[in-house]
This record gives sequence, C-alpha cells and structure tokens, in this order.
Amino acid sequence: MLSIVPALEWIEGLAWTTAIRESAWGYPIIEIAHVASIVAFAGLVIMMDLRLVGLAFTHAPLMQIQRRLFPWQMAALVPATATGALLFVVDPLRYYGNIFLGVKLSLVALAGINALAFHLMTYRTDGQWDEHPQVAVRAWRAGAVSLLLWSAVIVSGRLIAFSWFV
Amino acid sequence: MSQAYRESLWLFTATQSLHLVSITTFVGAILIVDLRLLGWGLVRQSLARTARSAQRILLWAGLAVLATGIPQFTANALSYSRSPVFTFKMCLLAAALVFTATLRRHVTVADEGRLPVWVPRAVGAVSLVLWMSVTISGRLITFYG
Repeated sequence: MLSIVPALEWIEGLAWTTAIRESAWGYPIIEIAHVASIVAFAGLVIMMDLRLVGLAFTHAPLMQIQRRLFPWQMAALVPATATGALLFVVDPLRYYGNIFLGVKLSLVALAGINALAFHLMTYRTDGQWDEHPQVAVRAWRAGAVSLLLWSAVIVSGRLIAFSWFV
Repeated sequence: MSQAYRESLWLFTATQSLHLVSITTFVGAILIVDLRLLGWGLVRQSLARTARSAQRILLWAGLAVLATGIPQFTANALSYSRSPVFTFKMCLLAAALVFTATLRRHVTVADEGRLPVWVPRAVGAVSLVLWMSVTISGRLITFYG
C-alpha cells in the first residue's frame, strides 16, 4: 500500500516551504489572502444563488446574472485555490490527516458538480430559457443546493483550525 | 450568557458559522454593487434596481452578523477591548458603514446620466478597498490581536 507521507515529508523539507512555515508573516499573509478570496468568491456565488431561488435581483434575467457574474466568480476562485494549495504545501503533514479539510474539499467538488450540471442544462436550451418552466424549477434546485453546499464549505473551512478534534 | 457561550462548544461553533456565512453574504452584496459602479457585472440592469435589491440583502445579512457577533464579542469583551487590532477593525468598519450609508447610497440612487463617469467608478473603488480591508483586518485579529 503506497503511502503519500514520504512525499509530504519531502515537500515539508524543502527550503522554501520551510522558510514560509517558519516565518512570522508567511502563514498569516497566505491565510488572509485565502479567506479574502473565498469571501469574494462565495459572496458572488451567494448573490447568484439568491437570484436562482428568486429571493433577490429578480429584475435581472437568470441567464444574465449567471453570465455576467461568472467571470468575476472565477477571478476570485483562482487566488482562492492557489492560496489554498499553498497553505497545504507549506505545512502538508499538519493538514494531511485533517478531517475537516477532507470534508471541505469534498463539498467543493460536490458544489462544482452541481454548478456544472446546471450550466450544461441551461446552455442546451437556447434563447429565452428564462421562460422555460423546466428551467425555473431546476434553477431553484441548483440555487438552493449551491447555497447549502457553499455555506457548508465555509463552515468546514473554519473548523480546519479545530485540529484537536482529529 | 457569556459563560454559557464559552462553555458550550456546539453553541460557539454554530454561532460563529452563521457569523461567517452572514459576513460572506454581506460582502457579496457589497461586491455586486461595487462591480456595477465600476461598470462591470450586471451592466444591463439599472444601478438603482441592483442596489435596491442588494440593500435588502445588506440589511438582513448585517442584522445576522450583529446578532451572531454580539455573543462572540461579549464572551471575550475584555481581551477585545485591549486589542489595538480590534479597535482598528471597528474604526474601519464604522468608516465603511458610514461611507456606504451616505455617499455610496446617494450615488447608487442618483440618475445614472447625471453624474460624471468617474464618480461612480471612484465610489465603487473606495467601497471595494474599504470593505475588503475590513475583511482583512478581521482576520488580523486572530493573528495579532
């Protein structure tokens, strides 16, 4: 059974990861950048989801909300992911066994699948898919699921720090 | 109440979780309007209508942030009151709130044609910087409070 631990130990031993890990500013800067990008990303996703479930921005057609916000959500997701990866790589053995990190990443994957499924469905119908009755139902479901999943991602992310549970 | 709050891990976790989600929702509502002020995002919708919808979210999410923030604050009031980082964050927050409730609000409801183009852009940029700074200083409390 191949263990990933030796690889993680090697990463931990690298000069640059060690330097960041042992510096006073390294971890705070990366972590704060991570949180700030997530807040921006998830905040915009929540705005879109509130539209999907019909609670806000109802003057804007569904398709527009999605199309116009998507690039900005992605713009925030890139630094969020990069800083997240960096956080792990700088201290891999600390996070490797952390159950909340595992939960968080699984939830992110599920949220991604939910988003992808909705994207594929809506881009298949053309033009005025806002008026499509099927779309309204699926949009509501996709939005509700997304709200739940991303809230859970935020919570599990916060719980990572409670490593003494593990 | 502070005692019960400190001693119940579940209560603390639940409250803080709601706090984090409310903050994220609040910032999202800020961002969507700031993007629009900068001429991005929901450009096909009127600024005023987007801002009005966002304002409802700001009020509800803001209420939730307050409601979930107060138990956390009172449980650690003494250490917070001694923390310069916490004081700094609160001042920044106050500035951001005042700016949002006055100048920014005025610009979002004004007729879009009447103000020079640079005004909403400047307001959007300032708002973005202010609110992201509040978010960042909030995290700084954990490290340097």
